[in-house]
Amino acid sequence: MIEYIDMILPYLTTILLVSSIYAIFALGLNLEWGFTGLINFGHVAFLAIGAYTTVMLNMSGYSLILSVIAGIALAGFSGFLLGIPTLRLREDYLAIVTIGFSEVLRFILLNEEWLTRGSFGIHGFERPFQDVIPYQYYNIFLLLLFVAILGIIYFSLEKLIHSPYGRVLKSIREDESVPSALGKNVFSYKLQSLIIGSAIAGLAGAMLAFYLQYINPFTFKPIETFNAWIIVILGGTASNKGTVVGALILWTFFSGTRFIEEYVPFESHQMGAFRMIIIGLLLMLLMMHKPEGIFGEREELALSD
Amino acid sequence: MRGRNLHYLTDQVVKLDILSVRNLKKHFGGVKAVDGCSLKIDAGTVVGLIGPNGAGKTTMFKLISGFEGGSGEIMFKGRRIDNLPPFKIARCGMVRTFQIPHALTKMTVLENLMLAPNIQCGEQIWNIWLRRKKIKEQEKLIKDKSQKILEFFEILHLEDEYAGALSGGQKKLLEMARAMMIDPSLMMLDEPFAGVNPTLARKISGYIEELRESGMTFLIIEHDIPAITKISDKIIVMNEGKIMAEGVPEEIKQRQDVLDVYLGGEG
Repeated sequence: MIEYIDMILPYLTTILLVSSIYAIFALGLNLEWGFTGLINFGHVAFLAIGAYTTVMLNMSGYSLILSVIAGIALAGFSGFLLGIPTLRLREDYLAIVTIGFSEVLRFILLNEEWLTRGSFGIHGFERPFQDVIPYQYYNIFLLLLFVAILGIIYFSLEKLIHSPYGRVLKSIREDESVPSALGKNVFSYKLQSLIIGSAIAGLAGAMLAFYLQYINPFTFKPIETFNAWIIVILGGTASNKGTVVGALILWTFFSGTRFIEEYVPFESHQMGAFRMIIIGLLLMLLMMHKPEGIFGEREELALSD
Repeated sequence: MRGRNLHYLTDQVVKLDILSVRNLKKHFGGVKAVDGCSLKIDAGTVVGLIGPNGAGKTTMFKLISGFEGGSGEIMFKGRRIDNLPPFKIARCGMVRTFQIPHALTKMTVLENLMLAPNIQCGEQIWNIWLRRKKIKEQEKLIKDKSQKILEFFEILHLEDEYAGALSGGQKKLLEMARAMMIDPSLMMLDEPFAGVNPTLARKISGYIEELRESGMTFLIIEHDIPAITKISDKIIVMNEGKIMAEGVPEEIKQRQDVLDVYLGGEG
């Protein structure tokens, strides 16, 4: 029995760790898309900016906390720079620009080896309290830390959404001509939403780096953006609770399917594609029978009308 | 002393001309949607803007409210407002409604109204954490005001319903009620009687007259000629982007050129 617990505990810890990182990452997207209606197809770029800034600054001798704050700030500032030219235009322009930006950024990370070590990636950076916590308990500590951070982000976003500020964001999602006709500076609110969402993704990036202990440009492929979209849609657009549960479901599924590998006639590289097919089918079924997602409100559904 | 007199004069001007538009133009390719229009609206009056489809009425609305850019000069309450974005114009006290009601369907009726007031403390992100008490107090005041306005429009019983569940007529009332929340000096209504049953249309007319009595100014686009002539102090007729007639309703109803444009001479 103890042996069994010893085996299952690290496994559960890993699922929860990754889920908490992706929950935060997707909460940023949920603020942008679920509550403000901004289509961001390059959310992974801000994850990468957060991760790379944190580890590069730390490797250059800056303290860990300062490096993380810089990572969050630079991710938010990148959102600001992308938002300035695109948010006055139709919403699809943001989608096009963000997906382009995330790929351009990945190629910069890959090719500017003097700065990022290219495809070799970066490792050997500091992790929070790594000298204090014994190695065998480190993942448990990291999990507690990440859950605490997730709690802070979750409750802050809930507070934000249920305030007059959140009311303006929702009105922009519904029909931005209305808040505009009522005297609200729609552009400024959209920009703020993009900055906050990007900064949250930056924080998730730093957390991902701490968990993986190694990052390279391939960690930040476009699929990560779409994993965040799957999480938000699965859990329920415009539901923070749904987003957290969506992250847990997605990563439990990704990890759980490893057990069936020996029972299906696929090579390991085919298994990844098989997983995505199953996810696609599940999403199609969900859209047909519960389009608002697991915790979404049908009356508040922003995905279809 | 002299300065004080001038101030008095300015106040008089503001009171007389709440809106003045000079040589307004908007072209879409070769189509002259609004072609050199000038008009003046006195404070505390109801002005009807009529004309056949494609006359340029809605484009005129968009130009005045800043939703469309064009050329010409627009003065509102003595301040030049052309080239200002729509939200800044709204903050000056001008609010518009839309031809097809723009109810925020996935928000409740109460939320629709509570959104409207300007300069809400809780609309600044830091205040959510730093000025919680002030926000709470302000929210209560705004909620009370919303409920009073909903009561005025007789839709208070729908306050917790999602706006998407309302009928077309109720959405029109909601839009007017929402516009009222910012205490506008000028309310611009785009076809408030279209698709509305006669009872509700009479009710809307009643509200407009009651609000006019309280000093509000209205500019109303409408195709329902009997309804608009009944409540208007002045009618402006547009055709092919130009203002073809302007005057009191009785005078406009008698003009043969207006009848020709509207009814093909059958009047």
